[in-house]
Amino acid sequence: MKCITASSLSKSYGEVVAVDNIELDVERGIAFGFLGPNGAGKSTTIKMLTTLTRPTHGALEILGIDALRNPLQVRHRIGAVLQQPSYEPTLSVEKSLTKYGMMWNVPADESRRRARYLMDDFDLYDLRKKRNEDLSIGQRRRVQVAREFMHDMDLLFLDEPTAGLDPAARRNLLDYLREKVDGGLTVFYTTHILSEADYLCDRIAILQKGRILVCDTPETLKEDMGHTKTITVRTDSDSTTVTKAIAGMQGCTVESGVEAHIIIRTAEPERTLADALINLHRNDIQMLEISAESTTLEEIFLETVKDASGTASD
Amino acid sequence: MHQVLRLINRNLTVSLNPGFLIWQIIFPLIYIFVAGFAYTALIPDVTLQGQSLEYPAYLATGMIGFNIMNSTLISGLIIWNDRRHGMFEQILSGPYTIMHYILANVCTISIIGAVSAGLIAAVGIPVFFEAVVFSPLTIPIMVFAIITGSILFGSLATIISARLKSSEGFNVVINTTFIFFAFVSTVFYPAQGAPAVLATVFYFNPLTYVVDTIRAGIFGNITEIIMVEMLALSLLAVGLFVLAARMMTRLNH
Repeated sequence: MKCITASSLSKSYGEVVAVDNIELDVERGIAFGFLGPNGAGKSTTIKMLTTLTRPTHGALEILGIDALRNPLQVRHRIGAVLQQPSYEPTLSVEKSLTKYGMMWNVPADESRRRARYLMDDFDLYDLRKKRNEDLSIGQRRRVQVAREFMHDMDLLFLDEPTAGLDPAARRNLLDYLREKVDGGLTVFYTTHILSEADYLCDRIAILQKGRILVCDTPETLKEDMGHTKTITVRTDSDSTTVTKAIAGMQGCTVESGVEAHIIIRTAEPERTLADALINLHRNDIQMLEISAESTTLEEIFLETVKDASGTASD
Repeated sequence: MHQVLRLINRNLTVSLNPGFLIWQIIFPLIYIFVAGFAYTALIPDVTLQGQSLEYPAYLATGMIGFNIMNSTLISGLIIWNDRRHGMFEQILSGPYTIMHYILANVCTISIIGAVSAGLIAAVGIPVFFEAVVFSPLTIPIMVFAIITGSILFGSLATIISARLKSSEGFNVVINTTFIFFAFVSTVFYPAQGAPAVLATVFYFNPLTYVVDTIRAGIFGNITEIIMVEMLALSLLAVGLFVLAARMMTRLNH
């Protein structure tokens, strides 16, 4: 069952096209990662999906509701942690949570109960009496994310929610979100930290210049686009000797250090490695160490974005 | 609970603090009891529609309108703070529309305005009690002045806060505007006797309409001019409210 269906969704600000005809299909009960470099159009897309801003054109259905016709109906069923920090400076952490519950019409008793649990889950209990304006950026961010769980929802948008969080708080949040997704919540998640998307998300879309370049599961993306492997060969010779030995070989570069390293990045790593080893042997260069790295989401992201930039400039 | 009521509840919680409340009472009291009695040496009494009033009684009733205007600063501050601290978009990504937000702000300032006016009336009553003429219209006219005055000045504060991004700019513009409204009005002195140009400017000032209407309610002298002022007040309040709503809607896109 579809949770978000967007077709030809576009947003322009005058001459500037922020989001260009994107198509999105997000299933219910998954964590959907929305990745892209700065200015790719992620936040604009989130603002359209949360009905904060109207698309210039296109159709949008959220949780089976026509979001352009019934935005308020959509907002009753979604939650949003926007990129911009949001807080009531003069309220304490505890009061922020219970007031937010009240704003979502959560009964007072239930609101207090949820606030207590969330303060435990987000490690905020010791800060409960502190005013928001006295918190650090990371603590405020934790309150902002925790606050969104004060109300029930079917779909949660998070726009770079881990900005300002330390590694422990980040991992804690990802685990909390995973637990909620496993419980049936749909999460739409944007981040620059690709390891987070790899850890949390069931599907990933990469956006650049307002267009979706790829959209699939992290595993499929790695299978399809991870044919370029990185093999590093450490040798006992200097870089000039090694460079001469592998001169003319496609996909091989030499990095100098105390000993030269050959970095092989190619779609045919085994064949290139074999050729490189033959050339090293012919030149009496000893191989000291060899290592291969599997392709990370970060490499796929960088490659996709670089390819798209190349295509665009062509 | 309806969305507007929930937002009013939230607005009152985030905007009211002991300092603000004390200032809302202390500031007009200084005017009524210090300036009011001190100026009696200069202004022994004031004639209002043929009725002679002692200056403290005249000033105390003017301070009710002044306090309504002052309390609408809250509206501008709520919007300005919400925009600055990200709560504006956060609220609108929840179960609220821009109209809920604006209505809640207007209601919040009406409540604060009514409470402030009530408190000033309560503490000021000893100085104007003797001149009060109660009629069936006294309370409705007071309520009318409080609500339209709150809408009018609240909308004005909303427009200013929607236009200005820096806190310094917001404070300078709003304080200058409100000082102009306060001193170029009938809050502190009657238009009669002032130089003709100044007296005319008094009547282009909505605070004059609010204050004149309140005095008419308290002292029971509802004349044709008051009726015209009430009409002008209503039209201005509606016009500024529509303008404020349009500006806030634009902010949302």
